Amino acid sequence: MAHALHTVTAACYLLAALAAAAGLALRVRAAQRAAVFLLAGGALIHAVAFWQLHTLLPTPSLTELPLASSLMAWLAVVSFLLLHARVRGLALAALVAPAAFLGALAGALWLGIRTGGGEELHPILAHVHVVLASAGFALLGVAGAAGALYLAHHRAIKAKRAAAQSALPSLEALDRANGAALALGFTLLSLGVLSGVLWVLESQGQLWPDGVTAKHANATLLAWLLYAGVAVLRFGKRESARRAALQSAYGFALLLVAVVGLRVLP
Amino acid sequence: MNLLLLGLSHRTAPLELRERYALDDPQPALAKLVHGPEIEEAVVLSTCNRVEVLVATRELEAARLRLRSFFERELAPAEAHRARELDGALYELHDAAAVRHTFRVACSVDSQVVGEPQILGQVKDAYRAAFASGACGPILSRLYQRAFATAKRVRNETKIAERPISVARVAVQLAEQIFESLAEKHALLVGAGEMIELALEALVQRGLAAVRVANRTPARAAALATRFGASAHGLDELPQLLAASDVVLTCIGGHEPILTRATFAAALGERRAQPIFAIDIGVPRNIEPAANRLEGVYLYDLDDLQGVARANAEERRREIERAEAIVLEEQQRFDGWLGALAAVPTIRALVERAETIRASELERGLSGISLGDREREAVEAATRAIVGKLLHAPLAKLRAEQDREAGLAQLEAARALFGLDAASDEVDDT
Repeated sequence: MAHALHTVTAACYLLAALAAAAGLALRVRAAQRAAVFLLAGGALIHAVAFWQLHTLLPTPSLTELPLASSLMAWLAVVSFLLLHARVRGLALAALVAPAAFLGALAGALWLGIRTGGGEELHPILAHVHVVLASAGFALLGVAGAAGALYLAHHRAIKAKRAAAQSALPSLEALDRANGAALALGFTLLSLGVLSGVLWVLESQGQLWPDGVTAKHANATLLAWLLYAGVAVLRFGKRESARRAALQSAYGFALLLVAVVGLRVLP
Repeated sequence: MNLLLLGLSHRTAPLELRERYALDDPQPALAKLVHGPEIEEAVVLSTCNRVEVLVATRELEAARLRLRSFFERELAPAEAHRARELDGALYELHDAAAVRHTFRVACSVDSQVVGEPQILGQVKDAYRAAFASGACGPILSRLYQRAFATAKRVRNETKIAERPISVARVAVQLAEQIFESLAEKHALLVGAGEMIELALEALVQRGLAAVRVANRTPARAAALATRFGASAHGLDELPQLLAASDVVLTCIGGHEPILTRATFAAALGERRAQPIFAIDIGVPRNIEPAANRLEGVYLYDLDDLQGVARANAEERRREIERAEAIVLEEQQRFDGWLGALAAVPTIRALVERAETIRASELERGLSGISLGDREREAVEAATRAIVGKLLHAPLAKLRAEQDREAGLAQLEAARALFGLDAASDEVDDT
């Protein structure tokens, strides 16, 4: 059941991605609205799919990368929907939906091929770390997407290539979305790092991990430090919106490498 | 019933001619038009771009002469050469062409500025005036209802009116690409000429928190500011005003830029990097172009805005094709309705004639035969069924014909074949 629901979720996100891309390219607002509805429907099914994981024996752990990716996808979609209620940012769906599709697809594929045994039982702190860090990751992803859209739109307006009516939200709306997602995402990532440290302390008796997880921990710390700098510049020094957008986009690329890349790449 | 439209528009007549034929109040003219026997229904549309009269009539030639006389003698009676000047300007459209033209006008496809929204309101006003004065009957009422529905479809199904094409509207829409809402923004307008006034109108419609007008002559700035609820300032205050403004619009005389890159840089410093959207529609330019290189400044000059407006106008023209397809579809639907309306008297006459023949022949045939009630009822039913089946195909064909020309030809053929126009006493001889 959890596998089937994950597959349906991935299909919803894929349709949302196609509708959002078509809406953006053809400037059809109805398609963009349809994308938002598909994302909302997908998020609902996704939530049920996670709930259904408890019915599997043995219960799969959220610390598995494909499931963590799926969780990040769900959190990114929920963050987008919450942001969308406050900021006119329909075009963000064109970036959030494909990412969510990939996350849900990873979860669906993994659930489809899992053998049903051998999962390592992780302590509760591991799950807290994964949930908080995933939520932070998802929100910083949304911030990065808003930043990337901001840069593209800013460039078009500066170069006088902007049509009087664009499918993209205003620069101010994208900046607000970026700021809100960054503030919440950084807070959750910080809590995720803290819970990770506590988990390592509990399991290994030291503050920093050894072995294969050390690379991931080091890169995550680097990304956290970078985001701390971005947050200080953005909220303390009131830096320009364009620079904040640039840092969000680059910051997320680094975070992606730290969390996913180092675990996937040899 | 025939439809006839006579009129002149921006396509056929210059402004000075259109002015002479324009009507402030069409109601007296409408009353005169439908008073005579030639015209049964009439609607007069008079705007700055067109004066048109659409009538429904059974006497096409008489109505044509009446409308011609209406334009030549009643609309501009003081003109000595009115007939000659109207010759090239007046156009005449019949039936389907008149319907299509009315739909195109309501949809703003025939407007000077394609997609402009005012024309639909003007057509509605013309219809209301005709309806109120009793000049608009069932045919034109139906036609105008369909015209409004067509205009709604065109607006919903095409992008004909989506993109702004005036410099002021383009400026406002570009501002909305930078700022989420203009409601909390402050605007600074430098100059007090007509262009500034137009832009001010467009900006005020979007609702701004504050508007400031700066000009060399403070009295002119004050006059404009008072009209729009803004504050008036002198040019010496520009640096301070710039720092407090999100949208800046300049159109003032002078050969040197009044706002330089350095002035903008200083203003951005004070604004803690909040962006400024600057629109320079002055010729020569009032803002140093290098200001656009500053990160927080988005500067558009007249050429940039006109470039966007031209691209939008081109986009609108591309949408005309889709609008025309909708107009054609709706015109054919209306034509079908009108054709069916024309068939009603013929269908009624045919059914009545068949029933009269059936009843009289039955009476004659059964006069020497004694039948019981049940047998008589059975014979009645059988003859009715025969007549019904014989008439079914021709009646269905008459009702279904959508093409107006073909429909009228079939109606005439039916009347001739069934002898519907012959004297009623012929029935007894058949």
